[in-house]
Amino acid sequence: MAKAIKNVHKIAVTEEQKRKDDLREVEDALIKNKDAILQTMDIMSHMQDKGILSLLNGLFGQGDKVLEIAVKAMDKPENTNTLKNLLLLSGSLGMINVQQLEPFLLKLNSGIARMAEFKDTEEKTGYFDIVRSLKDPDINKSITILLQFLKGMGQDTQHYEKTNQDTQKQRINQSENKTLE
Amino acid sequence: MSESFYVKINGSETKAEKDQTILNLLSNTSSQVPHVCYHPSLGPIETCDTCIVKVNGEFVRACSTKLEDGDDVDTNSDEVKEAQVIGMDRILINHELYCTVCDYNNGTCEVHNTVKEMKINHQSIPFDHKPYEVDSSNPFYRYDPDQCILCGRCVEACQDVQVTETLSIDWDRERPRVIWDKDVPINESSCVSCGHCSTVCPCNAMMEKGMEGEAGYMTGINRETLRPMIEITKGVETGYGSILAISDMESAMREQRIKKTKTVCTFCGVGCSFDVWTKGREILKVEPQIDAPANGISTCIKGKFGWDFVNSEERLTKPLIREGDAFREASWDEALNLIAKKFTEIKTQHGSQALTFISSSKCTNEESYLMQKLARGVIGTNNIDNCSRYCQTPATMGLFRTVGHGGDSGSIKDIEKSELVIVIGSNTSESHPVLATRIKRSHKLHNQKLIVADLRKHEMADRADLFIQPRAGSDLVWLSAVTKYILDKGWADNEFLSTHVNGLEEFTKNLEKFTLEYAEKATGLPQETLVHIAETISQSKSVCVLWAMGVTQHMGGSDTSTAISNLLLVTGNYGRPGVGSYPLRGHNNVQGASDFGSMPDRLPSYEKVSDEKVRAKYEQAWGVKIPEEPGLNNHEMVQGIMDGNVKAMYLKGEDMGIVDSNINHVHAAYEKLDFFVVQDLFLTRTAEFADVVLPASPSLEKEGTFTNTERRIQRLYQVLEPLGDSRPDWQIIQDIANRLGAGWNYKHPSDIMEEAAQLAPLFAGVSYERLEGYKSLQWPVAPDGTDTPVLFTDGFPFDDRKAKLHPVDWTEPKEFGEEYDIHVNNGRLLEHFHEGNMTYKSEGITSKTPNTFLEISHDLAKERGIKDGTLVRLSSPYGSVKVHCLITDRVKGKEVYLPMNDSGEASINLLTSSYSDKDTDTPAYKETSAKLEILQVEGVNPLPKINFRYGNPQPQIGVAVDKKWARKDYIFPGDVVKKERKQHG
Repeated sequence: MAKAIKNVHKIAVTEEQKRKDDLREVEDALIKNKDAILQTMDIMSHMQDKGILSLLNGLFGQGDKVLEIAVKAMDKPENTNTLKNLLLLSGSLGMINVQQLEPFLLKLNSGIARMAEFKDTEEKTGYFDIVRSLKDPDINKSITILLQFLKGMGQDTQHYEKTNQDTQKQRINQSENKTLE
Repeated sequence: MSESFYVKINGSETKAEKDQTILNLLSNTSSQVPHVCYHPSLGPIETCDTCIVKVNGEFVRACSTKLEDGDDVDTNSDEVKEAQVIGMDRILINHELYCTVCDYNNGTCEVHNTVKEMKINHQSIPFDHKPYEVDSSNPFYRYDPDQCILCGRCVEACQDVQVTETLSIDWDRERPRVIWDKDVPINESSCVSCGHCSTVCPCNAMMEKGMEGEAGYMTGINRETLRPMIEITKGVETGYGSILAISDMESAMREQRIKKTKTVCTFCGVGCSFDVWTKGREILKVEPQIDAPANGISTCIKGKFGWDFVNSEERLTKPLIREGDAFREASWDEALNLIAKKFTEIKTQHGSQALTFISSSKCTNEESYLMQKLARGVIGTNNIDNCSRYCQTPATMGLFRTVGHGGDSGSIKDIEKSELVIVIGSNTSESHPVLATRIKRSHKLHNQKLIVADLRKHEMADRADLFIQPRAGSDLVWLSAVTKYILDKGWADNEFLSTHVNGLEEFTKNLEKFTLEYAEKATGLPQETLVHIAETISQSKSVCVLWAMGVTQHMGGSDTSTAISNLLLVTGNYGRPGVGSYPLRGHNNVQGASDFGSMPDRLPSYEKVSDEKVRAKYEQAWGVKIPEEPGLNNHEMVQGIMDGNVKAMYLKGEDMGIVDSNINHVHAAYEKLDFFVVQDLFLTRTAEFADVVLPASPSLEKEGTFTNTERRIQRLYQVLEPLGDSRPDWQIIQDIANRLGAGWNYKHPSDIMEEAAQLAPLFAGVSYERLEGYKSLQWPVAPDGTDTPVLFTDGFPFDDRKAKLHPVDWTEPKEFGEEYDIHVNNGRLLEHFHEGNMTYKSEGITSKTPNTFLEISHDLAKERGIKDGTLVRLSSPYGSVKVHCLITDRVKGKEVYLPMNDSGEASINLLTSSYSDKDTDTPAYKETSAKLEILQVEGVNPLPKINFRYGNPQPQIGVAVDKKWARKDYIFPGDVVKKERKQHG
C-alpha cells in the first residue's frame, strides 16, 4: 500500500561536510593548476608592491560608479577629441613608410650631430658661401632631397583623408581605392 | 531539368536557369551584390534597395528580378554602386551603429555586415531617432523602433510563414514602424510568441529578451552609462571602418563564452531542430536554422521560449527512496541496489511476468531500445509499452492493416504542396504549430484547399474552405459514405486500385450500408455537404489527410484510422509526392518509442514477437531467451495490478497518473503495487506513488536521436551538463541492467544505435555519422544510407507489394445516460505542454496562461446562467473536476472543451473512463460526458486579457511594400542616380 506522498527529506549536508567538500574542490583546482597559480602569486606580489592591487580594488569595488564617472568624463568634447585624434594619428602613423624613412632619418641624425658640433660657432655665412656650398656633394644631396620632399608635399592627398565627410562620388570610390582595407 | 540559357554578368557569359532571380544567380558567383532584407527562407521583400543592379540599362532590384535569355547585367559600375549606397544610407538613418555595445553583435548582424561589405565609411544623412519607445511588454522578446530598419522581414514571417497575421508596418506615418494588430502593445495583441520575428530580424530591433544585456561583454552596463558610451563611440568615430573592426573583435571574443549547440525540440512530434545559445547554464536564445529539415526558421512559443524548466529549482537532483510517509534523498548506489534487489525478489517469487516496463515518448530512440532490451533481455518479459498507447497506436494499426507502414506517408513538404488537405480531429495550429504554419501558408498564398472536420471551431476550422462538425465519434461514417459515393460515381482511381490494391470487392460490399441517408442521420451532416466533399476529393490531383486524437481516442479509433486510409487508397492518393496519410504524432518521439521496440507485441522495426525467426535473431544477439507470448500494454498493466498479477512497475518520463484516463482508477492501482520505480525530471503526480524516484536528465542534457512525425531521425547534442546528480535515462537503464548482471557496455548512445541498426531492418543504414549536425534520415533506411522521404513509391510492404482495403464498421460512441448531458472534449493548448509539468516553469507562459479553463458555448452559458469566471463542477461516473469557465464561440451547444494543462482539481482525466479502442486499448478520452453544476457564479476570468486569444489579427500579404513605394518621400534609388547623372551631364 503506497499512498501518494510529496514530502522529501533532503540529504542534510552538515556545515563541516560542506566545508570539507568545498576545500577538497579548491585543493584539487590548486594542484591541477599549480604552475599557473604560483606564477600568479608572483605577479600579485609585484602588484601589491606597486600599489596596483589597492587601486584595482577601489576601481572594481565601485565598478558601476567609476565607469559612469569615466564615461561621463570621456563624453566631453575635448576628451572625445583627444580619443579621436589618437585614433586618427595611429591611423596616420600606419601610413608612414618606415623603409623609405629610415635612410632619411639617419641623414637627419648626422645633420643634427653636426649642428650640435657647430652650435656655438661665430662663423658667418654669406651669399657666395651658399652658392659655393652647392658644390659640396653633401650639401648638394641634402638640398636635392629637400626639394623632392617639397614637391611630394604639394601633391593632392585629399582622397586619403579620414577626417572629412565624403561626397557621394568619393564614397563609391572608397571601395575601389581600398582605403578602408 | 529546368530550362537554362546564357546571360551576361559584367560582360562575361554566365549560365542561368529559367525563373532564377539575379540575386540567386549572383550568390554563386564572385560578383555578389549586397542585400539586407532578402532572406533565403522568406524570399524577396523588396524594401531595402541595397541589391540594385542594372539589367539591359535599367535599374532593378536583384532579389526580385528574374533573368531572361540574353540579359545584360551590370553589378559594379559607378551608377550601380551609387544606387546601392543610397539604399544603405536610407537604412542607416533608421539604425544607430553602436555595435560593440549591442547584444546582436554576434557576427550575424546583416546591417553591420553589409556596411562592411559595401565599405561605407560615412553616411550622408545622419541617424535620426524615431519618436517611439521600446516595447518590452511581451515576456519573451522586445521591439526597439529606434533600431528598426523597416525591412519588413518580421512582417513577412508573421503574415506569410507563421500566418498569425499580427504584425504589419504602418507606412502611413511620418516615421513608419512595426505595429501589432491595430497598434496595441505587443503583450495585448494576437501575437502567439512563436519567435519568428526575432529569428529573422537582421539586426537588434526585434530581439529575444534572453539576449538582452547578456550576449556582449559590455552590453550588461547600466542604461545611464550605456547612452554616453554610445555617444562616445559615435563622437570618436573616424568612420565606420574602425567601429566595425573593434566590434568584430568583441564579437569574436563572444565565441569564447557563448556555446551554440544543435538540439531537437521535445514539445511535439513535428521535430523542430535548432541551435541553443548558452552562457554557462543560462539559455540566451533558441536560434532556428535554415538547414533544419522539418522546420527551417520556424518555431512555436514552447520551442523558442519554453526551456526554463531545465534550470528549475524543482528539478530532482538526487534519487529518492520512500521511507514511511516521506521520500528521503539517497545515493545512486543505494537506489540502484534497492531496485536490483526488489526486481530480483519479485522475479523469483512471482515470475518475470509480474514486472512491467513503460518507456517514454519524450526519451530518445536509444533509450526506448534499451528499455525494451531490459524488459525482454534481462528480466525476460514482453510487458513493455510506451505512452503512444495513449494517442496514436490506433493510427498505426489503421495503417498496418492497409498500407503496411505505420508512419506518415511523406514529409511536411508533401503536405505543403498538396492540392487538398483534409484535417480530421486535429487542432493542428495548437498541437503541431509549426506543421500547421505550412498549411496556413499554402492555403493563404498558393490556393491549397482545406477541409476541416472537428467539434471545435479552432483556428484551422476558421481558415478552412469547408468546416464540418460531425457528431462526436462519427467520423468513420462520413468517411465511409464519401468513399462509397466516390466508388458509386465511378470517380475512384481504377488504375491505381487494379495495379496496387487488393480486396476491393469485399470492401465495396461492406460499404453498402454507408449510404448518404444513413450518414446524414448518423453524423448530422447534410447530404449535399458529403457530396461536395466527395467531389472536392475526386477533383483534386493530390490529397493529404491529417488526423490526430479526435480520431484515435475513441472506441473505434483504429477503425476510423483505417477508413481514412481506405479513402486514400480508393482515390489513388498514396505512393507519390504530395499525397498520403499523416497521423500527426503528438510527442517528440511517439514515432521512435514504438519504432525501437517499446511495444508488447513488437520488437524494433515492428517485427512481431510471435515470429520465431525474429526472436531467434535477437536471442542470438543478446544471448538470452525471449518469451514468445506478447506482453501487456499500458491499459492491461493497470488491470493486471488490480487483478494482482502485476507486482512491479518501472516507468520513465511519463506522468501517467495524470495523462492516463480514469486516473482515480490508475492511482488505486499504483497503491497496490509492491514496488514502483519512476524516473522523471520532477516529482510528478505519478512519482508521488513511487517507492524509488530516479532523477533523469532532459533532452538538453544528453545525446541521442528522436524520430519525428515524418519518420525523420534527427540527432540531438548535449547543450548542458546534467543538473545535480541527475543522469541521462540510457545511463540509468544500463546501470539497472548491470546491477542485474547484464554486463552491458554502452559508452555513448551511438553504440546503442549501432546495435539497433544491425538488428532492425527499417534502420539498417542509420548511423551517427549520417546524422551529423542538421542531417537527417527518414526510415526505412537502406544499408547504404538511402532513406525514404516518400513511402510506397515502389509498392507496399506486403508479399505481393499491394495495399489492402480493410472493411470496417462503425462503433457507436459510449453513451453514459441522460443525466450526463455535457460532452467534454479535451486536448492541448498551444502554450502548454500536456499537463504543464515543464511549461508552467516558464514565468512568461504562466503569465499569459496561468491555468486551465473550461470553454463553454454562448448557448450553454445563457441556458445555465454562466459567466466568464464562473466556477463549475463537472462530474462523470468516474470522478469530478472543478474549473472556471470561459465563454467562447469555439465550442457549440452542450459541448465543452477542457484543455489538459492541469495536474490538480481540473485534471481532465478525473472524468475520463476506462473504455478504450477495441483494437489497441487506447483510452477513449474523447468519449467523455458529464453533468455540470454551478458552484459560484461570480469569479475571475481564468484567461488573462494578455492572452493572444483575445487578439485582433490584421491579415495582409507580406509587408505591403507598394505602400512604401507610394509614399511622397520615396524615390527609387535608381531614379535618383539617373536624375543626378542627367543634371551633371
